[in-house]
Amino acid sequence: MIILISKRKFDVPVQAACISPDVFKGKTTAEIANMPVTEGNRNLKLGDLFEIQEDNLETPYITINGDAGKVKRIGSNMKTGEIVVNGDCGMHTGEKMAGGKITVNGNIGGWSGNDMKGGLIEVHGDAGDYLASPYRGTATGMKGGVIIVDGKVGSDSGCYLHGGVLKIKGGAGRFLGYHMSDGVILVDKEVDVRPGACMTGGKIVITGTVEEVMPSFTIDSVKPKVKIDDTTNVAGPFYVFLGDLAEHGTGKIFVNKACNPQMKFYEKYL
Amino acid sequence: MTSEVKSVVCPICGCLCDDLEVTVENNEIVKMKNGCSVCEAKMVHGYKSEERILKPMIRKDGELVPVSMDEAVKKAAKILTDAKYPLLFGWSSSTSEAQRIGVELAEELGSALDNCCSVCHGPSVMATQEIGIPASTLGQIRHRADLIVYWACNPWTSHPRHLERYTSFTDGRFEKSEWKSYMQKMKGDASMKKVQAASKRIIGSTIPAMRPDACALNAPPQTMQKEGRKLIVVDVRKTMTADAADYFIQVQPNKDYEIIEALRCLVGDQELDVDTVGGVKVEYLKDVADAMVNCEFGVIFFGLGLTQSAGRFRNIENAIALTRDLNRKTKFVISPMRGHFNVTGANVVFAWSTGYPYALDFSQGYPQYNPGEFTTIDLLRRGDNDATLVISADPGAHFPKAAVQNMMKHPLITINPDMNAISRLGDVVFPTQWCGIECEGTAYRMDHVPIMLRKVVEPPKGILNDEELLKRILAEVRVIKGKNPDTETKAEVKERNKLAPRIEIKQRKKAKKVEVA
Amino acid sequence: MTELLIKNGFVFDPINKINGEKMDIAIKDGKIVHKVSGKAQVVDASGLTVMPGGVDIHTHIAGGEVNTGRIIRPDDHVKDVERKTAMTRCGTGYSIPSTFTTGYRYSRMGYTTVMNPSMAPLEAKHTHEELNDIPLLDKATYPLIGDWWFVLENLAKGDIVECAKHVAWMLDITKGYAIKIVNPGGLESWGFGHNVHSIDDQVPNFCITPREIVTGLARVNALLNLPHSIHLHTNNLGLPGNYTTTLDTMKALESVPYNGKPVCHITHLQFASFAGDGWAHFQSASEEISSYINAHNHLTFDMGQVIFTDTTTMTADGPFEFSLYELGGHNKWVNSDVETETSGGIIPFHYKKNSPVNALQWSIGLELALLIKDPWKMFMTTDHPNGGPFFAYPRVLAWLYSKKAREATLKHCNKKAQKKSLLPTIDREMTLYEIAIMTRAGQAKALGLPNKGQLGVGADADVAIFNINPETMDIAQQFKAARKAFKHAAYTIKDGKVVVKDGEVVNNTTPGRTMWLDVQTKDPCVIDEEMRRKFKQYWTIEYDNYPVFDHYLRVPEKLTVKASV
Repeated sequence: MIILISKRKFDVPVQAACISPDVFKGKTTAEIANMPVTEGNRNLKLGDLFEIQEDNLETPYITINGDAGKVKRIGSNMKTGEIVVNGDCGMHTGEKMAGGKITVNGNIGGWSGNDMKGGLIEVHGDAGDYLASPYRGTATGMKGGVIIVDGKVGSDSGCYLHGGVLKIKGGAGRFLGYHMSDGVILVDKEVDVRPGACMTGGKIVITGTVEEVMPSFTIDSVKPKVKIDDTTNVAGPFYVFLGDLAEHGTGKIFVNKACNPQMKFYEKYL
Repeated sequence: MTSEVKSVVCPICGCLCDDLEVTVENNEIVKMKNGCSVCEAKMVHGYKSEERILKPMIRKDGELVPVSMDEAVKKAAKILTDAKYPLLFGWSSSTSEAQRIGVELAEELGSALDNCCSVCHGPSVMATQEIGIPASTLGQIRHRADLIVYWACNPWTSHPRHLERYTSFTDGRFEKSEWKSYMQKMKGDASMKKVQAASKRIIGSTIPAMRPDACALNAPPQTMQKEGRKLIVVDVRKTMTADAADYFIQVQPNKDYEIIEALRCLVGDQELDVDTVGGVKVEYLKDVADAMVNCEFGVIFFGLGLTQSAGRFRNIENAIALTRDLNRKTKFVISPMRGHFNVTGANVVFAWSTGYPYALDFSQGYPQYNPGEFTTIDLLRRGDNDATLVISADPGAHFPKAAVQNMMKHPLITINPDMNAISRLGDVVFPTQWCGIECEGTAYRMDHVPIMLRKVVEPPKGILNDEELLKRILAEVRVIKGKNPDTETKAEVKERNKLAPRIEIKQRKKAKKVEVA
Repeated sequence: MTELLIKNGFVFDPINKINGEKMDIAIKDGKIVHKVSGKAQVVDASGLTVMPGGVDIHTHIAGGEVNTGRIIRPDDHVKDVERKTAMTRCGTGYSIPSTFTTGYRYSRMGYTTVMNPSMAPLEAKHTHEELNDIPLLDKATYPLIGDWWFVLENLAKGDIVECAKHVAWMLDITKGYAIKIVNPGGLESWGFGHNVHSIDDQVPNFCITPREIVTGLARVNALLNLPHSIHLHTNNLGLPGNYTTTLDTMKALESVPYNGKPVCHITHLQFASFAGDGWAHFQSASEEISSYINAHNHLTFDMGQVIFTDTTTMTADGPFEFSLYELGGHNKWVNSDVETETSGGIIPFHYKKNSPVNALQWSIGLELALLIKDPWKMFMTTDHPNGGPFFAYPRVLAWLYSKKAREATLKHCNKKAQKKSLLPTIDREMTLYEIAIMTRAGQAKALGLPNKGQLGVGADADVAIFNINPETMDIAQQFKAARKAFKHAAYTIKDGKVVVKDGEVVNNTTPGRTMWLDVQTKDPCVIDEEMRRKFKQYWTIEYDNYPVFDHYLRVPEKLTVKASV
């Protein structure tokens, strides 16, 4: 319905928490153009940075074309509707999102899906660090919703995860699912070191490779398949590790047996 | 004209030794007592550098040209106010008084503000935000610690008087110095070497060492059972500090996290499935865990080897978790080995005026904080800012190339006493006084103890100190801003405030739900 | 020469026994005067309540510990920000606001004098640097000396006079205002991870008991003629069943000569009035405590009221914070021991209505305030930020002056706590006069600040004006409107200047003063070579670098005291 086209390439960060279907709903294009944003330290209006057009389509509710790689906080606090970003998208996208859908046809910046409670973020590219992780010093992360990333994700993704599902079709950086207590993370390719460090609950499913699991995990069993959500099961077989013992946790890491022959030595404990 | 100044504070490292005795002759430091070699290098020689900047300079047609202070201040203020998103970086070798003005300047400009801790112990600060920190002042360690662990740091060379003033080689109320036993060990080592050399000469081969090398490849030595203070060093290579240690654990690079995690399990009486962790046998780690649990008062000092290797703040977080776990069995504290003499002060000052210790952003009219988003290197790498002010730091020599290249795309203002790498690249170059030598001010020791730096000699004529200079720049910025006041109406500001974070009062709603149920 | 005339307000000035009379207050050059010339600026206070500026006897707003609390809680700041304006600096809240924000928020509530109650002497410079950055308020700070080795050693020897000289020296060089004692003996024990559990436990390595420390320092306080009494945080604070320790401490203090001036201020009494033998059997001991207090006059107290919110607890009582952390549910724990002096701890804490313990704590604080009959003994605080941030004071006031407000909150509380609470049996509703005592007059009197907390001629012209018309507004019924009025003062006047109008800061040129005591002993503590040697042994910084130099106080106000030793 609303189409935003960036007027130029932004060379300093733009904060645009107002770009959200809930905020735009019921406003005319003139009113939308008058919404406050900042470019660096300059207080501007959305219309100063974006050309705003309206069409008759019902969905998606907002489309962003052009340069949004430095635009932060798109769709923050979003509850309904849909945003499509054609291109890269800045940090904190979908922060505190509770519903609706954000589709990014490009890469997405760090801290996206931070403190998410519901809804869906689909990224047809790579994601930055701290995907679905909470703000500094907070001990509860994403509580619900789904994030699907076609590419790889950075480090510290899914920290303090407390619910919801992350599906990562590429690789994942260090400390995936750090301190998670619930929820599911599925990674299809290579996972960097220390997945699930300090986890107390939830599941990390690695169908790709991982160099080692932390010494503070203990092997539990070998399972033929694992349930991701109500509709999906992934076939294995998988080594199942329990941990993190240092936190007296009962989280589970499922590691694909076929792709990770270096873990064979654990079988002696079974 | 010779005078002696006592109780001078050393403006080099985070130890802030304050017992220096300095001899001044004709406004020049000629001699000093009590300082370490690093201190002497700066206090007696370094500050008289031939590279000293004596006049403000502005780059004109590619060349730095000396100008008047007024002109330089005006030019700097113009650069900073013209920029949409300037960055103010440095601060760790400046006084707290100057840092205060720095925060005010950043606030007035709506800029990013960061200090050197983002490239050293920023991860330590981030870790405390995740898990807290059981800490103590250094004197507490001096009086009580009977187990000292230096993890991924080498104070023998980086903080030369640390062992002597605060840990192993100092006398406290309840624990005594290990200096004598160290000297005996060194003598023993020296005579052993002589015996080895002699036996090689006479029988053509060396006899096996009486004392096994205190290294992780071996089990912990008998000295781990001795009375008095024990010293354990954990590092990737055998350093001078490791030579002084009772036990040295050599870890594989980037495996500290795993070792700490294993120690946490062992301290918590858990069994491990693996035999070695990070190159160290689990049975040796068990002995270390026992030593930690059985001490009366233990301390872990950690350095950049932990904060800047793989895992970064998670390493520290885990080390703090280990310390916390140990507090359930005995008394244990942990402390970062902060580098620059007032990098701790920068955290302290930023925090009291804004709530956040570093990685700040004022572009929204209120302070925001997020390392990774507003930390200098990340910001520069992404090319987010469009002007930079560097004060008392040298990113030119220490930053990654991509960051410096992006910095050079935009105007650069520098404030440094001597012509270091970054000053050579500056567009406006200010001279300043050496803090703690030519001007006084407050600095914070690595354990947050404030100490007043002393002025020992007069600065060169016409050179302002950091605080005075920043005040002048701030005044000029206010003049320019006064001419272009913000024209937003009250209603518009209200609209903007709506998008600022709010306190969420969840408690009330929850309580109501309970009622209904 | 500036003159100001506050016209036609309903004045509540308990020290001068003025209870809601309609009168004018004249101000000249920052002081209250008999009358002013016709040229004076007029503040029309008709229909408004006029009180002396608020005084807070106990609020952690500055210093090493507070700042560490700030550093570890970005999650606390991010949800509450203050935007920069042409008049004010920006900052952040919530439970541990940044310095400028602290000043503005206090001032908006009509407060003009606040006391920072815990400062490790070694870190005194830090505290004073922060106090300098808290605008619009007069401030002072209490050094922590209850577990200072010099005090322990001298008291163990029984040498009260020598101890007094050292304390006088300490107050002088740290620019302090009163003797603060926290968990006496416990902090020294915490050096090796232990604690003391009653007032007669031996402190390891020092041959002294908490009883001897408290009574000894109370005597020292009397010898030095300090304006405030000793300021005490009792042993076993925050533990179930601790009310017996509190009663023991209060009884022990009866042995200290009492000449009409209280010998001790026991702070955040709520945390020291728990009955029951474990958290599962947690009970209120407010009846036992308040009946003792009603029968004795040698002590003063403050509430330490709990607010249901997410806050940060911080105290020099390191062992208590660790035991709190071990109860579970907290993600951060800070411990900060200071050599030869004190310790400290910080934990973020969320007081919840549906927790049986937290809800009862809330009730205990209010029970104490309401059951203690004499408001000159019991003052309103939240032990900011331990019970809740100070800007929740208006909510506490509402619970004090309105039974309706108490009932409105109590009905949302945990059911078990509701059953244990005495609040339904208490009908007392405080009047504006009593509120003025609990928030201003009483606190100023206990602190020994003659020019604060009152509007008599010669007093400092610190005035708070609230949008409450006592003739038309029944505060007990319209508690929400009154609460709003206390939250946003109609005017706050500091040193004769209007600094807040309609709840907004309108003046940024008043930095406020830092008060400190210059205690003059007849035969001052000599810093000889022996003392310097001892100094070098005890601390890791040199004697010459230890004092807070004069320039650390931006606007100092020296109060000279003549000691009797």
